[in-house]
Amino acid sequence: MNTTAADRDIKTMAVQYGQKYGILIALLLVCVALSVVNEFFLTQRNIINVLRQASINGILAIGMTFVILTRGIDLSVGSVVALAGVVSASMATTSSTAAVAGAPYAFYIAFAVGILVGMAAGWINGILVAYFNVPAFVTTLGMLSAARGLTLLYSGGRPVPSLTPEYRFIGTGDLFGVPMPIALFALVFVLAYFVLSSSRFGRHVYAAGGNPHAARVSGINVKRVRMVVYVISGALAGLAGMVLAARTGSALPQAGVAYELDAIAAVVIGGTSLSGGVGRVTGTLIGALLISVVNNGLDLMGVESYYQQVIKGMLIVAAVMLDQARHKHA
Amino acid sequence: MTKLLRTMTIAAALLGSTSAMAQDVPRVGAAVYGLNAEFMQLWAAALAQHPAVVEGKVNVTVFDGRYDALVQQEQFETMITQGFDAIIFVPIDIEAGATAVQAAHDAGIPVVGSNTRVNSDLLLSYVGSNDVESGYMEARYVLDQIGCEGGVVIIEGPIGQSAQIERLEGNQKALAECPNVTVLEQQTANWSRAEAQTLMENWLTRHGDNIKGVIGQNDEMALGAIEAIRAAGLDVADFAIAGIDGVTDALLAVKAGDMASILQDGAAQAQGALDVALAAVIDGYEPMSSIWEQYPDMPWNGGADAQYNVPWTPVTLENVDALLEMRQ
Repeated sequence: MNTTAADRDIKTMAVQYGQKYGILIALLLVCVALSVVNEFFLTQRNIINVLRQASINGILAIGMTFVILTRGIDLSVGSVVALAGVVSASMATTSSTAAVAGAPYAFYIAFAVGILVGMAAGWINGILVAYFNVPAFVTTLGMLSAARGLTLLYSGGRPVPSLTPEYRFIGTGDLFGVPMPIALFALVFVLAYFVLSSSRFGRHVYAAGGNPHAARVSGINVKRVRMVVYVISGALAGLAGMVLAARTGSALPQAGVAYELDAIAAVVIGGTSLSGGVGRVTGTLIGALLISVVNNGLDLMGVESYYQQVIKGMLIVAAVMLDQARHKHA
Repeated sequence: MTKLLRTMTIAAALLGSTSAMAQDVPRVGAAVYGLNAEFMQLWAAALAQHPAVVEGKVNVTVFDGRYDALVQQEQFETMITQGFDAIIFVPIDIEAGATAVQAAHDAGIPVVGSNTRVNSDLLLSYVGSNDVESGYMEARYVLDQIGCEGGVVIIEGPIGQSAQIERLEGNQKALAECPNVTVLEQQTANWSRAEAQTLMENWLTRHGDNIKGVIGQNDEMALGAIEAIRAAGLDVADFAIAGIDGVTDALLAVKAGDMASILQDGAAQAQGALDVALAAVIDGYEPMSSIWEQYPDMPWNGGADAQYNVPWTPVTLENVDALLEMRQ
């Protein structure tokens, strides 16, 4: 068949747009379909639900984006969610059995401790990956187990209940009408967006992930960049752990099991390449929203939750196939 | 050759001395499915506080099965090799546990089941609570509150676990008595508070005011539903909510008037199982735990019954403070 130059241009354009905006188009299509088949989907309350349900996974996935951009992986975030949640909650509880001495402390102290616990776990991951050359998969798999064990040791396997109202505010309060989990998710997204797109550190992350050798030659401290991304991921896992505890009303030592998988799924669906150097945090945002929208839509339609897992699995594979196709064309 | 002989003599002496020790104080192993959740923590703590353990009349070792049927089976093999005198078994899986029980039975070690069931007729006895009963009690509470009409939702445990199957049976038995009640939704949240919260948020969007009651098959999931109701800006008092187990957070919620809970007495299950195990090991053993006085409906009968049903206790405003006191 003969094709004219104009046809080819249109085709190329369509392919390019499809690749660049494919996942956004997929999200919009799913939303349109759901609002047609279900009268509740497009209500304000449901949209708030979707965003709130996406926020914890979204915060984790943004941290994961930094790590995956440097060709790493962070399997420990789910366990760090529980560890930071339990430790910080023990400083903000009025229950005499679960509290540390002197609790409840002021909210900002408990909050700072939660972030620091997350950063400490991330820092250990980062040091081992960047300076001791332990593969990220192995390092963070070790941390997945160790952080969970520490959580159980610290809490004695029991939940930390009765959190102060100030602490619970980050999970249940709102800021100018926006529920706090969504506000924090938005804040983290905006910060990550500017760091990755316009800061020197952001450029270094892409360079260290895209071609570490070239980055090193051009004077970038690749080891340091690789360490810092794990600290970022750990800090955000700490934040997510506190939002989760504040939302559910107690810090549960069993919280966050398998959260790393949803976070990685959001990053991958969002088009960030597992081979590093390519990807955007906007994609991760859309990936996290897509997972949440699909779960919410299936719940609204009364579909059994086991189907949701099947559909999420298909989404992940479809997203990676799209990613492969993009690399072939590029 | 002499060296080998000497090694064998030492080994024999060591073996002899350990078995001599074992004769002094019986050794009982407790293989529990996993120690990550509060309920099993309380169970294990109660076992350690059993008067026979405190007074040194028995040596008890708790094995954490880490939620894996294979790990539990390997722990059985370890206990058989080490010559434990009796085993208390809280299996993760109703079917997979049967192999482990068979192996202990073949080695002549009595096995007493506790808390969760195993599909085996080789158990010496089972000390637990009837989940059909608790499922019925919690559903009955919710239905009474809503006047036996309107819409309810059921939040289930992991499909296929014995507690989920039996509690659902009890739920359905109560629902059959109220033909005007509609089950609007019925889904699993895998015993998880966070999962139940998401489910309930979405159900509230779909059904709004039509949901009058929430039947949570455990406390954690009922607590998740409460948080979802609050997050939607609704009044928890407008809903009838019930859970099962009596975990600490649920006791606090009962005290606040947010829900009903039914206490599963894990402490009595643990201590009762140990008494039954010791009766099989020590001639003329009399039970030492106070639970037999606490529950006159569960007679001791010489420790020879095939099944002991630890009664459920509804948590009420009258007993909640005393129950919370016990958790300190």
